[in-house]
Amino acid sequence: MVNYGGDEVSALVIDIGTSSVRAGYAGDDAPKAVIPTTFGFHRAPPDADSAMPDAADPTRSGTGKFTKMYMGQYGPSVWREGMEVTNPLTDGLVHDFEPVAALMRHAVVDVMRCNPTEHPILVTEPAWNTPANRERMAEIMFEEFQVPAFYIANTGVLNAFAAGKGSALVIDVGQTIASVTPIVDGFVLRKGLVYSSLPQLVHAHARHTLVTPTVQRRGGIDLYPHQLITNKMPVEVGAPPRYTLREDRVKGTTESWRMWYEAREVDEWSQSVAGVLEQGWNDQAAASRPPRQYEFPTGYNAWFTSERYSVGEQFFWHSPQLMASNAGLPKTIPALISESLRACDPELRQVLVGNVVLTGGGSLFAGFGDRLSSELARSFPHVKIHSPGNPVERRYGGWLGGSVLASLGTFHQLWISKEEWTEHGKAIVGQRCK
Amino acid sequence: MSNSADVRSILSLPSASATPAPSHKKPTLPSARKPDGISRELFSLIGPSSTTLVAQLAKPRLKQKPNLGAGSKIKWEWRAFKNGGRTDSLQLRHWVKASTDPDAEYPFAKYNVQRPTFTYTQEEYTLWLHDNDWTKEETDYLMAIVQEYDTRWYVIQDRYEYSGTVPRSMEDLKDRYCSVCRKLLRNRPWTGDESTKQQLLSSFAFDKEREVLRKRYVTSLENRTPEQIAEEEALYMEIKRLEQNERRFKRDRDDLLRTIAGIESGLPDVVEDEVQLTGLTLDSKRSKKKGGGAGDLDSPSTPLIAAPLPKRAALPPPTLPKNSAYDLQHCITRTDAAGAAGAGASTKAAHQPAYLRSFKMPFPKSSIAPKVTQVLVELGVSPTRLVMPTQGNVALLEELMDATAVLVETKKVVDKVEYDIQVLKNRLGMQSTAGANAEEGDGGGDAMEVDAGDDADGDADGEGEDGRAQSVVSTRSARSRKHGRRSLSISSVDTSATISTRAGTKRQRRN
Repeated sequence: MVNYGGDEVSALVIDIGTSSVRAGYAGDDAPKAVIPTTFGFHRAPPDADSAMPDAADPTRSGTGKFTKMYMGQYGPSVWREGMEVTNPLTDGLVHDFEPVAALMRHAVVDVMRCNPTEHPILVTEPAWNTPANRERMAEIMFEEFQVPAFYIANTGVLNAFAAGKGSALVIDVGQTIASVTPIVDGFVLRKGLVYSSLPQLVHAHARHTLVTPTVQRRGGIDLYPHQLITNKMPVEVGAPPRYTLREDRVKGTTESWRMWYEAREVDEWSQSVAGVLEQGWNDQAAASRPPRQYEFPTGYNAWFTSERYSVGEQFFWHSPQLMASNAGLPKTIPALISESLRACDPELRQVLVGNVVLTGGGSLFAGFGDRLSSELARSFPHVKIHSPGNPVERRYGGWLGGSVLASLGTFHQLWISKEEWTEHGKAIVGQRCK
Repeated sequence: MSNSADVRSILSLPSASATPAPSHKKPTLPSARKPDGISRELFSLIGPSSTTLVAQLAKPRLKQKPNLGAGSKIKWEWRAFKNGGRTDSLQLRHWVKASTDPDAEYPFAKYNVQRPTFTYTQEEYTLWLHDNDWTKEETDYLMAIVQEYDTRWYVIQDRYEYSGTVPRSMEDLKDRYCSVCRKLLRNRPWTGDESTKQQLLSSFAFDKEREVLRKRYVTSLENRTPEQIAEEEALYMEIKRLEQNERRFKRDRDDLLRTIAGIESGLPDVVEDEVQLTGLTLDSKRSKKKGGGAGDLDSPSTPLIAAPLPKRAALPPPTLPKNSAYDLQHCITRTDAAGAAGAGASTKAAHQPAYLRSFKMPFPKSSIAPKVTQVLVELGVSPTRLVMPTQGNVALLEELMDATAVLVETKKVVDKVEYDIQVLKNRLGMQSTAGANAEEGDGGGDAMEVDAGDDADGDADGEGEDGRAQSVVSTRSARSRKHGRRSLSISSVDTSATISTRAGTKRQRRN
């Protein structure tokens, strides 16, 4: 028991990201429940004789502004008439706690079948979280979930712990935010913390690549999700698609749901086709790569050649004219890294560069790790990048670090207990969770 | 089943035994139990005789299974525990063996160690800790934050937020904290022993200037442009290359010397490691670089020639004094190579190759060699070969040879002077027969005056004629030889002395 320093007290770990909420037992190697953070809801009660088979759906009646919330696996991805879709997080921070509490309850109670009053819960937060936010989270946990103990830990620190490091430079590429966090002895160096909404830019670029009309693709590509398509015919490569829409559904589809699903189609395309060149942009190298075929839900299919590499290039390099025309352009990954290191002590730089941890689902973008190592090797002599090959570890690195931390015997003195919460109030959160 | 009786009956042969029926019933087969691991058919064929086969066919016994459970089952309990590291009453639950003591301390509580804190009163602050740069409030804040972050200075510097003052660098914070701790330690009465106090004091030692300088160096090292790094690398490569060249030059030169002069070159046959040399050559290179590369061609040779000498000279001193007694005991003679090298400063003299002493026998000067040899032969000594050329014998022979040479020289001079005297005497005789008697004394006196040196020699010669020359040439006994030699050496010294003293010595000798 003491040998590996672990002592499991059946703690739960909840990691809330923009794309998904991860929940599971501390000490496990993967979360038990992974549900999308985006949820569907109805503002007005739906028609009683709805044709949708929602009986099996784990839906939940909202209490406040949402009449009905649709969460989890059969939540937002199922088409429902008039269902709106929203995400309670902006830039990685929770802006709306009501649905977040519902999401956590869904993950813990409905998916994991746990009683939160029996388990200490560790929740994660991004490094740029506000004190008000973490106090609100503690309040929800103690007042609403009645947890016996609670702790809120930084995702950067947890990612470093998941990689087995106390000091690291954590490069976390999520769905909306890419961040570079220097960690020293398990503490975030706040002055060195930098982040930008780079993944959103990459997404926008990918979407632009697809929907913009070109010579081959007159009118661009329709990104209708398959829920809206009645039937389609196989077509030749590059030929206009032949499909018919479900007119009955199209008129009942909300704009937010459609935008969300189109974004999903774009993401799916960039995850399967797009990539980044390992050695920097080079027209010949991009052209020499084999083209890749992709078929959209409409039946349209095409070979994508060098354009698929220009998408990933947005992560690492922006053309000067783009930067000149766009002052608020999010910084590229190399710019973030150099800015972060500049803010650190010169003695620390070498340590951090030797302990780079690459994490986040966005870092699974094809060729990302190789490109990053070549970019870093260009400016630093001794670079070592820790990037797990296992996609689960990469995507849920923050959760995994929380799982490690909350199962350590030495950690149990750090929990904020319910007693302390009632005694000290919100101030205890800032004191305990540094 | 058929047995021999059946066969016999079939073949109409008389039965072998008188009672065939009991033989039928008799069989011993059932009595012998069929062992395991052998089929019934086979057993009926071969019978119970083949025990070895049965043993082999027996079921192999497997290794005993390890008993992991150690007997009883272990009971585990889902038990609440109290963490000694916590100040509240939170009770978490975990699985433990039911056998463990429920009141035992939480095993991880012992890792909760706190650093000793330093606190001070207002009085102490004003007395010792006052600093114009720092207010008491800020110092308090610093001490608190250092405690909070457990002296993780990078984190402290990151989290340090004290409003209304100048931004503090990490060195400022460290310096202030360490100086406060040092002053408190030094000025407060110390109850423990002195060494722990010193240890504690030294743990708070901090040299701010040095740290700042070091940081600046680190920064400048980091701010090198790629060109500068490349240049540095190129220079380093160049040094390495030159060093290698120099080593090659030296090796070639040594090889050449060895080829030309062989053993006489004084170079060891075994090529030594040039480790000692590198430092020297590096130095020469540095100076060369500073000097703008003047004399590029010949400069490498200078250190190379100079280098081996100090190396060799440095070798004997440590061995010599230590071994002198040992050498004496074991008749080991050491040649002083450094002494042999002398001021000549040539590599040739530096090394003395091994030789046979019999080949290094003393030789007389070539001009008088035959005469010396003749004298030695008369003495019964072979000048070219010694029966036992030990160091002592060779030294004696050398001495003898020298003495003989001196004797021969002297004899030559004596002969000449004698001849001169003879000539003069003859001339005197001719004059005396021709001139007056009075003139005779004058001429004699004159002659004495003019040829004072000759006269002296002549005197000595006269003396030698009767004593020395005779003894040397004619007597053969060792005693007389020794005597003669002694007299010879004295007389040769005396040649420049006055006549009176010489007469005295002559008399002494005669006695």
